[in-house]
Formats: sequence, C-alpha cells, structure tokens
Amino acid sequence: MTDAEVADRLARGRKGDEKATLELFQYMYPHVAKLVQANLPHRESAEDLIQQVSIKVMSHLDQFSGKVPFLHWVSRIAVNTCLNQIRHEKRRPEVRLADLSEDEATVVEHLAAAPDELDASDQVASKELVDKLLATLRPADRILMRLMYLEGRQVEEIASLTGWNKSLIKVRAFRARSQLRKRYAVLMKENS
Amino acid sequence: MNPIDDQLNRLFQAAAQGIAAKAVPESTHAPAYGLETRVMAAWREVHKGGTGFWDVALLTRGLIVAGVIMAASFLPALQSANTTSSPFADYLQLTDSTVASDDAP
Repeated sequence: MTDAEVADRLARGRKGDEKATLELFQYMYPHVAKLVQANLPHRESAEDLIQQVSIKVMSHLDQFSGKVPFLHWVSRIAVNTCLNQIRHEKRRPEVRLADLSEDEATVVEHLAAAPDELDASDQVASKELVDKLLATLRPADRILMRLMYLEGRQVEEIASLTGWNKSLIKVRAFRARSQLRKRYAVLMKENS
Repeated sequence: MNPIDDQLNRLFQAAAQGIAAKAVPESTHAPAYGLETRVMAAWREVHKGGTGFWDVALLTRGLIVAGVIMAASFLPALQSANTTSSPFADYLQLTDSTVASDDAP
C-alpha cells in the first residue's frame, strides 16, 4: 500500500468507512505480528499482544498526524507495548551453566573451542541461549540488544522505532553490551 | 578483539541466522481467528464514541466558550464594584453629600 493509499484509507476511516479501516488493519497486521514475535516477552502469548497492539493502533487512528510513515508509527506503538509488557514481568534471572540445556552448553563449548562461525545445527540453541542472556537485562536494554544484534537495525532506525534519541541509544547499547559481556564471562568461567 | 566480545558476536550471528531461517515471510501472516472482528469492534466503539452527543472534545470546547462568556458578563459588575469600593470614590461621595447638604435651604 502506498503512502497515498494509506492516507486515503485513513481519511475514509475517519469518516466511518469500515471497509477502509479493515484494509488498514490487514495492511499493518503482518508488520505488527513480525515485530511482536521478535520482541515477545516470555510469559505473554504472541496472539494476545498482537491483539493489544492492533486495538491500540485502531483506537488511536485519529492521533496519527502523518508526519512519519504509517508503518513507523505502528512500529513505535508495537515496540513500546512489548517494552511495557516486559517491564511488567519484573523477572531478570541469572544465567548459570547448570541451568542451560545440553544443546546450549554445547554452543558455549563450541564458541570457546574454535574461532569459527557456529554450525547451522547450533543456531536454534544459540537463539535460546541469547534469549536467556537477554532476559537478564533491563527491559529497554533487552529490546535494544534484540533490535541491534538480532535484527541488525541501525541506530537511526531504532530511534524511529522507539522514540529514543540517538545518544541515549548509544549509551544504552554500550551499557547493555558490558552487562552481557559480564554474564557471558560467568558462563565461560564455569565452562573452563 | 576481546575473546569474550568475539564469542558474543559469533553467538549473536548464529542466533540471528537461526531466526532468519525460522522466520515466516510477512506476506504469509494471517490474523488469528476472530482477531479482525475484535479489532474492528474496538474501532467501532471508539468511532461511535467520537461522533456521539457526549463527544469529549466538543464538550470541552463548549465549556471553554461558556467560561469566557461568563467572565465577560461579570467584568462590568466587577469593575463597578471596584470603583465604588475604592477609598477615593468614598471621599468623592462624602464631598458630594456635604456640598448637597450645605446647599440645602
């Protein structure tokens, strides 16, 4: 859907056109689903959170000023909703080697043993290990690390998604990375 | 590079590749059963609320206008009260009454 088409659906939606509003929902849904699934808090089901974000967006369509692209606005709502959910969890467990699954412990061994890239067979366990490490961080840092290192987004893009300024993102990224380094060092120490 | 940093980078890289391999293309995402209905019901509720008689924005504007009109209608009364209650006005009134009583036959 082009910007002009989005503007058209928004204008019609504001006048009460249900069909236009439904088209907007169908346009934004895949984007919301992808963002929520990527930043999903542990205890929350993706479906509930997608519904929460979708209702929030559709209920506040009147507040969309059109200064930024529609999907950027939607992304910001989705990321902030995920962030709020993570904040409610209030759970930041420590990661110890004994708590890791066999596959995750193998990943740690492989990382320490050779400087090569990990095998494709280690990718799933790597993802789970990263999830456990990220869960020890503060909610905002967790989202930031995910956007930066797992989704490969640039600082500008993260600023647009979260509403944080670039300096804050850089400071937060530096601090979160040091925290991760410490947590990972504990695992390495236990492994050796 | 610090060995810990190097290992973390490789870990993130493998995790990102794992996510990319598992990811479902955006175009194949379909809303869960009933989600469209629930979202549209929420939108209908808000939209209906916005155009009804008790539209909050309209009510606020009405209250502001009413307040301005009330203030404007009270202004002359306040001004006259201020004039009559000032000490100078009392003195003038007193002088006027004295002159009036002196002129009386």
